[in-house]
Amino acid sequence: MEKDKLQSIANLAKLRFEESQLEGMLTDFNKIMAYVDKVKELDTNGVTEEEIYEWSENRVRPDILGNSMTRDEISRIAPKFENGYIVVPRVIET
Amino acid sequence: MIFKKYSEIKSLLNEKKITSVELCKAYLKRIEENDTKIKAFLYLNKEQILEAAANSDSRRQVGKQLSEFDGIPIGIKDNICIKGERVSCGSKILENFVSPYDATVIAKLREKGFIFFPGLNMDEFAMGSSTENSAYQITKNPFDTTRIPGGSSGGSAAAVAGSMLPIALGSDTGGSIRQPASLCGIFGLKPTYGRVSRYGLVAYASSLDQIGPFSNDPQGIADVLSVLSGSDLNDSTASMEKAFSSSDLSKTDLSKLKIGIMANEGNEWDADVKDKFHKIIDVLRSKGAVIKELDFSIHSYSIPIYYIIATAECSSNLSRFDGIRYGYRVEDPKKLEDVYIDSRSKGFGKEVKRRILLGTFSLSSGYYDAYYGQAQKARVMIKRSYAEYFKEVDFILQPTSPTTAFKIGEKTQDPIQMYKADVLTTSVNLAGLPAISIPAGVDKNGLPIGLQITANKFEEGKLLSFVSEISTLEECKVKLPESIE
Repeated sequence: MEKDKLQSIANLAKLRFEESQLEGMLTDFNKIMAYVDKVKELDTNGVTEEEIYEWSENRVRPDILGNSMTRDEISRIAPKFENGYIVVPRVIET
Repeated sequence: MIFKKYSEIKSLLNEKKITSVELCKAYLKRIEENDTKIKAFLYLNKEQILEAAANSDSRRQVGKQLSEFDGIPIGIKDNICIKGERVSCGSKILENFVSPYDATVIAKLREKGFIFFPGLNMDEFAMGSSTENSAYQITKNPFDTTRIPGGSSGGSAAAVAGSMLPIALGSDTGGSIRQPASLCGIFGLKPTYGRVSRYGLVAYASSLDQIGPFSNDPQGIADVLSVLSGSDLNDSTASMEKAFSSSDLSKTDLSKLKIGIMANEGNEWDADVKDKFHKIIDVLRSKGAVIKELDFSIHSYSIPIYYIIATAECSSNLSRFDGIRYGYRVEDPKKLEDVYIDSRSKGFGKEVKRRILLGTFSLSSGYYDAYYGQAQKARVMIKRSYAEYFKEVDFILQPTSPTTAFKIGEKTQDPIQMYKADVLTTSVNLAGLPAISIPAGVDKNGLPIGLQITANKFEEGKLLSFVSEISTLEECKVKLPESIE
């Protein structure tokens, strides 16, 4: 993997790296990829999609109205909270 | 008192020979005197603990105890939510986070009257095998404080091994309960996937994560599991199977057992680990158990499969940390995008970022089939291999870790070496099976060795019955250190 590609993966992951950090991250990343690449050797042709998901079942709760967190509780964990709302920076450029 | 086993402490409490306040004071004193050296606890609220203990004692005095466990102290890993307590997951991004709700396991323990000792240190978001990835402190192994306790639940394991608590909760995604239990000479169980609700456990890799107990004896494992297990409307993956109960335990006849071991052991095992492991197998054979070698060659793919699946799930799970609703937010962001990017870049540590990148890559367009898709299929092949093994054997025995505790800093520069610490544990998570690490003697340096016993799905009753038998063997004895150097 090249540096540009790692940078674009970082963008997708909403992470930013300084130029100096990127170099080390790239070295580690390539080392790990070379190791996990081994998985490609396996012949998995006999495995079906059904087998991958056989353990999972869709279970849902009864659709009953219940209590969620109160506004007061949310205000205590939100980084910025004013007049009953979580504050974020301006979204629309003017 | 603090050097007694869990089962003795429980009896003393129920026979009213000690009070919960006396017990908690003794543990708090032990923590005060030794945790400056071990660093298992990220924080400690003494007043709150003693208040809960006093309430428990008042209940027991009038015969209104909530259960036979009322007043027993239990440690909680810092990724399990307790209402009103800090839950940092060993990360700066959750430094000031106080949970607004109880995890299902906490609600269940609370109903029975357990006394919580929260804040046990861990690798950030449970990503690591040494507890060196905590953003706050490195936990030390009570047997040798120049060495790691294992991870990611290193704080929980070190607290129990250091006799600062009799039992604790951890979480296990690729070995994070079993490996530290092994390196610290105690018992640690990863239950069957779905046995215990994950609601309120901060998610790392949802198809692999499972909460489980640490204890200084097998009784503590069985007791805590009996409280934790069962279905939960808040976790659709919590199984509807009948919950585990202590009545599932029975006497095991060793002479009727069929034990599976690996035919191809590989050359990564320490000589002492190999030696102690085979001595135990020889004892079981001499008692009449049938030992069968199993072809484990497919398991050489387990770590690559694990790292693709776990990181893919973590990149998705950790996208919730965006600096908006809770957790760390960067000061003075210019635009919305900066809130996300800068909060995450400053809040997450190196290993977490590395795993998010790896997961984002294997899920990205053009690479998905070759990595994530292929790993999902390979995971099925691991599951199939176990299904075949359990047609022939009752349990599979392996060392839990190929080595004993390594030195602090020894593997931090090479991520692959660190990942290989989990070479014998990740397969179990991929297949969703129950497995326990139990003490199995010490190496030439006096460091504990662990024995991993894996059973078929939902066979914790059979597994723990076997454990209470095998753990009495002389070869399995490990004495926990009384003085911490």
